[in-house]
Amino acid sequence: MDMAIELENICRSFKNHFWQNKKQVLKDVSLEIYKGEIFGFLGPNGAGKTTTIKIITGLIRPDSGSIEIFGHPANALKVKKRIGFLPESPYFYEHLTGYEFLKISALLSNQKNYKSGILGLLEKVGLKHAVRLQLRKYSRGMLQRIGIAQALVAEPELLILDEPLTGLDPIGRKEIKDIILEQKAKGNTVFFSSHILPDAEAVCDRIGIIIDGQIIKVGELNKLLRKGLKTDEISLEDWFVKQIKRNE
Amino acid sequence: MNRIWAIIENTFKESLRQKILLLLVIFSILLIVVSIFLEPFALGEAPRILRDFSLAVSALFGVLVVIIIGSTLIHKDIEKRTIYTVITKPVRRSEIIIGKFLGLLLLIIILVCSMAVIQQLVIFFYEGSFDFSLLIAIPFLILEIMILLGILLLFSSFSSPALSAMMGIIFFIIGHASPDLKLFADQVKIPAMKYLAYGFYYIMPNLENFNLRIDLVHKLPLYPDQLLFSICYGLIYTIFLVYLAIIIFEKREFK
Repeated sequence: MDMAIELENICRSFKNHFWQNKKQVLKDVSLEIYKGEIFGFLGPNGAGKTTTIKIITGLIRPDSGSIEIFGHPANALKVKKRIGFLPESPYFYEHLTGYEFLKISALLSNQKNYKSGILGLLEKVGLKHAVRLQLRKYSRGMLQRIGIAQALVAEPELLILDEPLTGLDPIGRKEIKDIILEQKAKGNTVFFSSHILPDAEAVCDRIGIIIDGQIIKVGELNKLLRKGLKTDEISLEDWFVKQIKRNE
Repeated sequence: MNRIWAIIENTFKESLRQKILLLLVIFSILLIVVSIFLEPFALGEAPRILRDFSLAVSALFGVLVVIIIGSTLIHKDIEKRTIYTVITKPVRRSEIIIGKFLGLLLLIIILVCSMAVIQQLVIFFYEGSFDFSLLIAIPFLILEIMILLGILLLFSSFSSPALSAMMGIIFFIIGHASPDLKLFADQVKIPAMKYLAYGFYYIMPNLENFNLRIDLVHKLPLYPDQLLFSICYGLIYTIFLVYLAIIIFEKREFK
């Protein structure tokens, strides 16, 4: 199977102050994300989800290990052209309107004929009414939506979303889930982290669980859930809690 | 080119919306207008004082704006995490630095030119004719501001706005004291002090190269070879600073 993302033995440690010891945040993380799948990256707070995503997107570098996207080094421009990224709790240029922000995002992504695409995207994420509104006036949910729109602006083959469902109301979550499923239907890959397990359960083909910087489980959702119990029926939430307790 | 233009446009718009600019424009206009009222006390020196004063205010205005906005140029993006959605697009880090530099420079050029227009209008209003000879000060003021912007961009790429602003002010002061520094280095007898003073003299930019105020106000002759040297000096120094800022920014992580 073709790979979209391939992480091999990634380690990363941080120290907050020069007098403190380094804390290892990622311990030998290896992960393979297949092309065309929706992959849910789950774990409790501070487990290393965002650090992993920052390494994939080139915001930080690993201490050791390798990372390839579509078979190329992750920081290559030709790779970045194929990726859309939504950071966790996104902050954007507050002085720009929704349209201006997406225009800049399109230009940075080498999109020349962006006008109709931007308007279509704003409609898709439910922000058509806020085209001319400055981002400083957007609510948290609206910022999350415009964040999804900027990630989609270059029609990426790989969508990386860090907590995309946070801050959204049930309708917003449904719309974002629909967008994720639509990307899969187009043959694109979606890699996203989430705390909201029922939502992850609804859209993921496979999930990976990271706890304390280590990947403890990766696999198809149905198989993992069935393996975990004698009965066939178990929610992701129950299974997830069980896995965490087992690793404590 | 589209990518750099997008960053230029964003930086320009972002800087333009800072209210401090409006305050500085009003402040500068007030100062120039006030200078007209100096006439009764100037004993026939009013035209010269007006030129000197308006050129000095324009320079001060440009330098203040570049220090205030330039010191936060990169840091704000990192602090507010707005850089995340830019740096993860297919854009080179060098393009971000160049775009930020040109975006703020564009704003400064517009402001300095607007100041020159105001200055000419004040002179016309005061004397009944324009004095276009003063306009030659503009490109040299812009070159000085380009160097300061390069310094701010360099420090802003790895340090805090306060430190960047402080370095900008230090470079500005030492840069204008460059001829005095040379004189001191020539005359001081203690070898360690001599080498230190020469070191500073050669490393720090000589911003007096771009100060034509005295020559223009007193109608002294300007020498083309000296002007050409100043232009080349300003451009090379700025390119060097921007290049250093790019090297540092390339290595930066965004935790």
